Amino acid sequence: MRANYILKRILFAFVTVLVAITLNFVLFRAVPGDAVSALRCRQCTVHFKEVQRKELGLDEPLIVQYRLYITHLLHGDMGSSLRTEQPVMDELWAPIANTMPMIALGTVFSIIFGTIVGVVSAWRRDTFVDKAGLYTALGFYSMPTQWLGLLMVLFVAGALGLPTSGISNPTLGILTEPSTWAVVVDRLKHMVLPALTLGLVLYGDYALITRSAMLETLGEDYVLTARAKGLKNLQIVRKHGFRNALLPIVTLIALSLGFIIGGAITIEYVFSYPGIGLATVEAIDQRDWPVLQAIFLLLTLSVIFFNLIADLLYVKLDPRVVEA
Amino acid sequence: MKTRVRLAVLGTTIALLAGACSGSGGGQANPTGSGAVKKGGILRIGTINYIDSLNPYNYIESNGLLAQMMVYPQLVQYKHGTNGFEIEGDWAKSWQTSADGLDWTFHLIPGAKWSDGQPMTADDAAWTINTTLKFQNGPTAVAAAPVAHVKSADAPDESTLVIHYSSPVGNVLAQLEQLIILPQHVWEKIGGADGKGFKTYHPEQNLPIVVGGAYSLKSYEKKGTTVFIPNPDYYGPPSNAEAVAFTYYTNSDSMIADLQHGQLDWVDQVPFNAVDVLKKDPNIVVDNVPGSETTNITWNSNPRKLQNRELLDPQVKKALSMCVDRNRIIEVVMNGNADLVESLVGHISPLENPNLGPLQYNCAEGNQMLDDLGYKKGSDGIRVAPATTGKYAQPAHPMQYEIITPTSTDFNIDREFEIVRDGFAAAGVKVTQKVGGDSTASYALETDDNCDAATSTGYSKFDIAMWDWAGYIDPDFMLSVVTKGQWCSWSDTGWDNPAYDKLYAQQGSTVDQEKRKQIVYRMQQIIYDNFLYTQLVNEDFIDAHTKQWTGMDANLNDYSKKYWTTPHMTG
Repeated sequence: MRANYILKRILFAFVTVLVAITLNFVLFRAVPGDAVSALRCRQCTVHFKEVQRKELGLDEPLIVQYRLYITHLLHGDMGSSLRTEQPVMDELWAPIANTMPMIALGTVFSIIFGTIVGVVSAWRRDTFVDKAGLYTALGFYSMPTQWLGLLMVLFVAGALGLPTSGISNPTLGILTEPSTWAVVVDRLKHMVLPALTLGLVLYGDYALITRSAMLETLGEDYVLTARAKGLKNLQIVRKHGFRNALLPIVTLIALSLGFIIGGAITIEYVFSYPGIGLATVEAIDQRDWPVLQAIFLLLTLSVIFFNLIADLLYVKLDPRVVEA
Repeated sequence: MKTRVRLAVLGTTIALLAGACSGSGGGQANPTGSGAVKKGGILRIGTINYIDSLNPYNYIESNGLLAQMMVYPQLVQYKHGTNGFEIEGDWAKSWQTSADGLDWTFHLIPGAKWSDGQPMTADDAAWTINTTLKFQNGPTAVAAAPVAHVKSADAPDESTLVIHYSSPVGNVLAQLEQLIILPQHVWEKIGGADGKGFKTYHPEQNLPIVVGGAYSLKSYEKKGTTVFIPNPDYYGPPSNAEAVAFTYYTNSDSMIADLQHGQLDWVDQVPFNAVDVLKKDPNIVVDNVPGSETTNITWNSNPRKLQNRELLDPQVKKALSMCVDRNRIIEVVMNGNADLVESLVGHISPLENPNLGPLQYNCAEGNQMLDDLGYKKGSDGIRVAPATTGKYAQPAHPMQYEIITPTSTDFNIDREFEIVRDGFAAAGVKVTQKVGGDSTASYALETDDNCDAATSTGYSKFDIAMWDWAGYIDPDFMLSVVTKGQWCSWSDTGWDNPAYDKLYAQQGSTVDQEKRKQIVYRMQQIIYDNFLYTQLVNEDFIDAHTKQWTGMDANLNDYSKKYWTTPHMTG
């Protein structure tokens, strides 16, 4: 039964990937314009555009383009950027490498902080602590991310002396060779505000879900029984409350981790953070289909992978899902 | 471009256009700096346009060209003084042309060197031109415009370059201003027999690069900070700053905040909504100069459009335009940082026709004109276009239209639309906003998906759009955007007028600059009289810097190496 469940989940993930590959191709081409019509520059003459359209294969019928896309993909080749004409993966490694630590930092912050606040709020229901946790969580959860980011830029950055944009100090290493430590500290400083913005928005999500799940489990009969048996509060929360509330929390964590590779478009835009989110915006603006296809394929794979992990974890956390 | 983006401004100058067939370079004093020049320091510049490549055969962004101008030699560049923009020599110290305008001889500064110590000679310039020509239908197509109509180039000696044209060209120096000259001994090895290597090579990823301009590249981050340091072998006046750190921002609010927090020294494009805040900051200096961007109402002028053909009538368009309060746009949308404009070429061009209009804000007269033309108001206050007959017959219908607006403008186009909507409403015409998406999507709405100039297909559905253009010093490009040759490429009006196209070709080949000026004036008058656009305002170009630095000249943005070399620290 368990093996059957796991096999089904893997098969489902595989089919989803196949569907996503085709959707990636079709959806982007439904957007008006292409990589050549998106060229906006003085030197982009009619002559240049004609040359480009031919060179990039945009004059080929869509079915030919699709066949090429699938053929290349089967060979592990995601194609070349229509704008830079560099291999797509060469274009994407740097943004991915920039994004992942920042998103991971924000996500880990939100998981830890949000879960703790959610658990404490549920346990101290209707007290000041609960209300403080609930309202701050609701507040951050409802805030538009870019607005929170701008508040950080305008009010927090100056006060704390933190940089508001990019991933490195423009003047670091220009006149002298910086130490590795200085470079690492500089990178971390640039990561703080975007990660914090992401962390605070996700924190609201985690706190609310955890609180809700905890409230549900803490109202169960087995918790009452545990109390009646004289177990300590901490034991009740940890062993009987939190463990049973883990399913929705694990789902949320899997979803968050799945999106790590996708970056956070609005946050990267506000903080001029050169990650995968910004690369996505740029690729859309430039109608750079191969880059977009690669980003969305990676994102799809990432989401499917972490969902699969979550599905498999469910088996461990709650064996009933197999039977269901 | 419908601005589409801020672009490198190109073109010729009024002095040049005054008929000079020979000229000379020469240094220009620091235009705005005063007092002693303090050398050194890192000049930290914030920008909202990134450097996509240092390869002149594979770049798109205007800051890509700016960076190339800083690191590579050009024959000529612009200066700005009391006479406005004028061409001056960069590597070329003087030039002359033959009587028939077909041969241009440039005398180059002798003894110049590339940064690897190799001599910089006229052979490099000739090789660059001939190579660009050789592969212009392939890998070097993006750099082909500056050498349009060039037959070949040769170097009789180390410091003399002769460029041979197949036909006379009216704006040779303006075209050559964007010619980036490359070191032959480096680049000839990378092109390959088919020239494909020229396009795939990314010098910024292969540091150190061999340069001959004012700066060399110390580090490059496409979406971060690119650092330039002075090239000690540069043939021109050296940089005052010890280094230039050029940082890209996606969010102008962050950029302005960094300027105020002292993390930047200079911001090269201040958004209108930040100007007042910066002007109140005691540590910041704000500079306004006439910019290259003009905003407009774009009228679909395709003579074959099928519906709402009353909008092809210049009198109707004029009457509606007379109800638009353009001064209100300046105050509300641009915070006072703009001027009225009548010509498509804008204030940036020395060849702007001063005799156009001006369009008066007089809605009563506009209404009278519409009444006289037979567009009576219905019971709901909206005018009705009467039924017509003939090939393009259309039934009677209320005068209500959609206006396409892109989301990619650098000003608040929604507010501008509201002012236009109110004006049109006062004339009895109802318009609604159709947000067209980014530039590409909006342009696709204008041209239709099946746009094809050869069969005159396209521009059939939209009626009106609102957008902007970034003009150039030389008006050639702006005059071209309403030609049939730009259909489905830059044309946003769908106009198709062979007589105008003939004039366009004529100005392009008229070497006598006074004659060319008259043709250019006439073309602007035609555009104005036909109301292809209702020109709204000419935006200011605004930059801001801290008081720790001075010597900036906002006019030179994108036009000259001196834009970066002259700023210096105060005190």
